[in-house]
Amino acid sequence: MEVSHSVKERTIAENSLVILLQGLCNRVTTVELRDESTASGRVTNVDAFMNVRLAEVTFMDRQGTLCHLDELFVTGRNVRYVHIPDDVDIRATIEQQLQAIHRVRYFGGRDKGRKEFPRTKH
Amino acid sequence: MQLASQVLDEPKTASDLSFKDYTSNGSRLSWLDNSGLGFSLDYPTISLHAVSRDLNAYPWEHLYVMVNAKFEEDNAKEAPMAEGEEEEEAEDSDDDTEPIAEFRFVPSDKSALEAMFSAMCECQALHPDPEDEDSDNDYEGEEYDVEAHELGQGDIPSFYTYEEGLSHLTAEGQATLERLEGMLAQSVSSQYNMAGVRTEDSIREFEDGMEVDLAPAVAGQFEDAEVDH
Repeated sequence: MEVSHSVKERTIAENSLVILLQGLCNRVTTVELRDESTASGRVTNVDAFMNVRLAEVTFMDRQGTLCHLDELFVTGRNVRYVHIPDDVDIRATIEQQLQAIHRVRYFGGRDKGRKEFPRTKH
Repeated sequence: MQLASQVLDEPKTASDLSFKDYTSNGSRLSWLDNSGLGFSLDYPTISLHAVSRDLNAYPWEHLYVMVNAKFEEDNAKEAPMAEGEEEEEAEDSDDDTEPIAEFRFVPSDKSALEAMFSAMCECQALHPDPEDEDSDNDYEGEEYDVEAHELGQGDIPSFYTYEEGLSHLTAEGQATLERLEGMLAQSVSSQYNMAGVRTEDSIREFEDGMEVDLAPAVAGQFEDAEVDH
């Protein structure tokens, strides 16, 4: 379960449901696009902007023509729906993703290591 | 869309594309042939891109790019159409849906496809959607410290202002503070008020320790100076 190397992306993910999509890595599912084409394949990465990377994809364009693509990258802007497989425990997936982020953030112990945000009193 | 007359940046592909330069840099995607003719696409207009190795669907392995824009037939003729190396198809939409154009980049070296795909992914990540209305993306606040809140220690500051800090000092901390300030005072004659250094005297004399006495009471250190204060 790879956590983004970007502090900004981790913060965005932690505060939105895109974290659920990030938990779908290595699952096979369908992404419906804004223009009503669909892409079915294995999720390899979802970033904080909802850009989705899929592998071994069956792509159906809006006319209904099928084609196979080795790898596909869809910009977040063009994603309309992401199907969540039935056997995915949504709550557990979100909690696991949050734990992964916290492991990265508190690497080296709570008071050691570089703090991402100073805990200052305003 | 515009015709590019020069390569904008070093190609990111590992292999040498001798017939053309595919360039994926931070600002746009460029495709040029040997004579330097070509075109470029702006990343925000690119909806998706993919590697296609399905030879049943298309006779060559290629990089497929779908663009959210309309390309007129005239432009299709102006773009270089080297045989078997590049092709573009434009779809005219006759309904209210957005215009779509499809590009298939067929490099002469198909092992470059992976690198081309990855480079584009990275460049796309550099162009987040400007129309994204999610205002929560403006994260400048603190990250939620789960453990601290669980232990009831949320909002523990890591530094204090001077006045607040004094009241939070433990006995040991107070002793340390006095020792350090004593050291500071001893290193400088008490008759000097050096700029910015808050000695014991200066703290007592001035409310705001930032005031500076420019004329030293005893001109010991500044004997050499030829300054009239």
